[in-house]
Amino acid sequence: MHRLLARQIRQSTDESGQVDLARLGELVGAAYEESDRDRRRTDRAMKLMIEELEQTHKRAEQDLLRAREFLDSIIENIPIAVFAKDARDSRYILLNRAGEEYYGMPRQEMLGKTPEQIFPDDIARLVNEQDRRVVDSGTPMFLEGHLLEVGVNGPDRVVNSRKLLVRDGNGAPQYLVGVIEDVTERINNEARISHLAHHDALTDLPNRSAFNTALAERLARAQEASTSFAVLSLDLDRFKDVNDVFGHPVGDMMMRAAAERLVAEADGAFVARIGGDEFTILMPDDIRREDVLSLAERMVEAIGKELEVDDFLSHVGLSVGIAVYPDDGVDAATLLANADSALYRAKREGRGRVCFFETEMDRELRDRRLLQHDLRQAVEQNQLLVYFQPQARMDGEIIGFEALVRWNHPTRGFVPPDQFIPLAEENGLIIAIGEWVLREACREAASWPRPLQVAVNLSPVQFQAGDLERSIHQILLETGLSPTRLEVEITEGVLIGDFTRALNLLRRLKALGIRIAMDDFGTGYSSLSYLQSFPFDKIKIDRSFISNLEATPQSAEIVRAVLSLAHALYIPVVAEGVETDAQRAFLEREACEEMQGYLIGRPEPIEHYFNLIGINVERRRYA
Amino acid sequence: MQIQYRHWNAAHGWRGASALRELPQLVLYFGSREGLAGGERYRELRGFYPDSHIVGCSTGGQIHGDDIADDVIVAVALHFARTQVRVVNETIESREASRTCGMRFARQLAAPDLAGVFVLCEGLNVNGSELIAGITEVLGPDLLVTGGLAGDGTRMEQTLVGADGEPQPNRVAAIGFYGASFRFAHGCAGGWDVFGPRRKVTKSDGPVVVELDGERPLDLYTRYLGEEEAAAMPGSGLAFPLRIHDEAAPERQIVRSVFAVDRNAGTLTFAADIPEGCTAQLMRANFDSLAAGAGEAGRQARNALADEVVGDKLAILVSCTGRRKVMGQRTQDELDAVAAELGEDVTRIGFYSYGEIAPPAATRRCELHNQTMTVTVIAEAAA
Repeated sequence: MHRLLARQIRQSTDESGQVDLARLGELVGAAYEESDRDRRRTDRAMKLMIEELEQTHKRAEQDLLRAREFLDSIIENIPIAVFAKDARDSRYILLNRAGEEYYGMPRQEMLGKTPEQIFPDDIARLVNEQDRRVVDSGTPMFLEGHLLEVGVNGPDRVVNSRKLLVRDGNGAPQYLVGVIEDVTERINNEARISHLAHHDALTDLPNRSAFNTALAERLARAQEASTSFAVLSLDLDRFKDVNDVFGHPVGDMMMRAAAERLVAEADGAFVARIGGDEFTILMPDDIRREDVLSLAERMVEAIGKELEVDDFLSHVGLSVGIAVYPDDGVDAATLLANADSALYRAKREGRGRVCFFETEMDRELRDRRLLQHDLRQAVEQNQLLVYFQPQARMDGEIIGFEALVRWNHPTRGFVPPDQFIPLAEENGLIIAIGEWVLREACREAASWPRPLQVAVNLSPVQFQAGDLERSIHQILLETGLSPTRLEVEITEGVLIGDFTRALNLLRRLKALGIRIAMDDFGTGYSSLSYLQSFPFDKIKIDRSFISNLEATPQSAEIVRAVLSLAHALYIPVVAEGVETDAQRAFLEREACEEMQGYLIGRPEPIEHYFNLIGINVERRRYA
Repeated sequence: MQIQYRHWNAAHGWRGASALRELPQLVLYFGSREGLAGGERYRELRGFYPDSHIVGCSTGGQIHGDDIADDVIVAVALHFARTQVRVVNETIESREASRTCGMRFARQLAAPDLAGVFVLCEGLNVNGSELIAGITEVLGPDLLVTGGLAGDGTRMEQTLVGADGEPQPNRVAAIGFYGASFRFAHGCAGGWDVFGPRRKVTKSDGPVVVELDGERPLDLYTRYLGEEEAAAMPGSGLAFPLRIHDEAAPERQIVRSVFAVDRNAGTLTFAADIPEGCTAQLMRANFDSLAAGAGEAGRQARNALADEVVGDKLAILVSCTGRRKVMGQRTQDELDAVAAELGEDVTRIGFYSYGEIAPPAATRRCELHNQTMTVTVIAEAAA
């Protein structure tokens, strides 16, 4: 008897053992009903579940189809050739668009065909061999950077290709899938980038980084083989002027032309451009000093020849410094520094020269750096002084003073201006120094009882940087000096840089009432066009002509010529460096207007000239 | 430990042998909502046992021995020789307060010699998972906590819990057992099988599922139950619980039953929070698989019970109303299966609930379950 029926009978039996049939019937009926309900529920659930699973399956199929279309469109559109073949007979079964381009034929012509039916015999054989190898070994084939065997893009294209085996569910070879990527551009780009990294873009010469590598290799080799070699440091003289005058496009062409000349003369030596107008050359091993020298001199000569570019003519020069391994240094840094020292000496000795390194140069260079450092402190610690040198008419009447800066170094004593002024111009300190001298000179002159002139030198650097006009204006306001008593002396270097800017500035200064004097006339270019372009108030003949008056007849002629030129333009002339009565007499005869020099008075502190500026010495001393 | 068994029906009132030589510390009783409402049965029990803790709740059917009854109130009085008992109870203000309520409980019970906790809890207006989380947060994951949610037949209108007072809605009671001699064993199993596709909970709000795979969940249930049975939701929905599977915690697979329906919104409310984004799959069972599941719970509890027990042993069976709903007259089969595993020497009492509390064998972390048979055996060892 079923357990449930037994239970139902028990539940329908009263305490006396009587079975209540109606109750039993209810229980049994309810149990059937429960079973029926459960079965219906189960049937329904099964049916629904099957429906739902079918829907899910359909959705999954659609998803799969979409995923396939998605992948197909990717494969179709990637710029890499993709193909698939039957693993058994190498028949093509898939080819994408890049593949059509690569093989140069539409896919209809390839699909379903074997390599023999598509390619020439030798290529078909090669392709089949590769296919068999991949199928037999089961390992993918990678070929990197090989030249094309088939394809239409030309035999100089470089490709990476991959071929791999896809197995079916039972592990048997089913497909061969291949990709072919044209990497020609990438390889070319990599080569170009590598070239750019090691070459100067303008001249295509090796750059500083390439030079450093070459020097390091050369050093290692020389140390091993005990050979010697030379390092040349080269600098184009006045090349900055070329850029300033002609502009950078012409400057660039000139630079390329200069570089070509260097390479032509270098005789196979390693030439590198390491900066704006700086080059270095590594000479072959064991070359004799005289050969190095003659090669350097040939280069100086080659560069010195007129450079003609696009109808622009330019004269640039070349200075060369040479250091030799192992005498002048056994490491790269020392060799380069010493070649630079020699180059510096070559430039200082008048450019267009070749200098070998000497130990003394090293000291000089260090000394120079030290001095530059001290100069910065000098400005801060008031070590600079202003001296005054009188200027007079030819009859001896004092008309004014030139203010001159002096540096009283705490240990070196007085440092000559021609030593420290170039240093200050190099690092820009001249702007602060120039302004200070101007202010001191104006303040001093404003205190004089007699309204004498004061002349102050302005450096080209001051013209190029900062707001010179504003600071002069400010100083005049501060000190209360009348602009008509101030004279600024400029050299033609002021006009060589940015000519228009300098000219405008000079015009505005002149408009304030300030007088402008052309200093050091007769040296440098002494271009007459400068005299034409601006109404100078004065010309100062350089001291070198005056001191040679008696020694060389040419000097007297030059002085005469300058004077007559100036007089023709109605510009008064000051002769500098007048030391003797004979010189004064000559100048007076030639109708020179003014003079300056030891004959009248040396540069001295202003106390020395109290009488000339109208101060009663006794009174001032005890005031 | 000694057990005295009593039962009540309308015809005869209370019956049962007075087997206790000493006063019991604890009385447990279970009855239908109607049977317990008004508090008369409680007051009668209080008359029998003026100094004992008396704890009980409304159910979806009482289990006593091999039988299930709806119109009988069953009670056991327990005398412990070496175990102390403490009872705490709280009113739960809102679902949201479930966790803090659990923590408050646990702090009152906490003691170094606390050996086990049995919880009887309001069945409809509590977030059972959060309540348990609050308890285990204070007492630690190693302390064994079992129990159940009170029931209300398949009506799901109101449930009652009483602890040393008349049974009332929105109450939670817990019994703490203390001392080294106390023995506490449990088993917990279902017997349901997943079927049909996996579905995503695309929108939910706490225990309310708003969308399953973008579909109103009520529509899904209506389809599976048929219009006729669907009209009897939420009770009829107990036939198809959901297995909830959080991808982030794959070992944790919880079964949840429907507890309320919003026919306008088409949403279903489940016994605990169902997070958005988790996977849900319908479950179903047949008479035999459910009976086998109950047997498994009994076997686990028997295996967990130590050998050195002396005196009587009490098994408290907490089974889900949903199981009874599916099994109908066959429900007896699951009680027979538990009895066969536990053996003749264990007294059985229990009830059909709206949720079972126990650590499942897989995670050993106490949780709220639906649609399981949970067996808790309490006993004492010799000193």
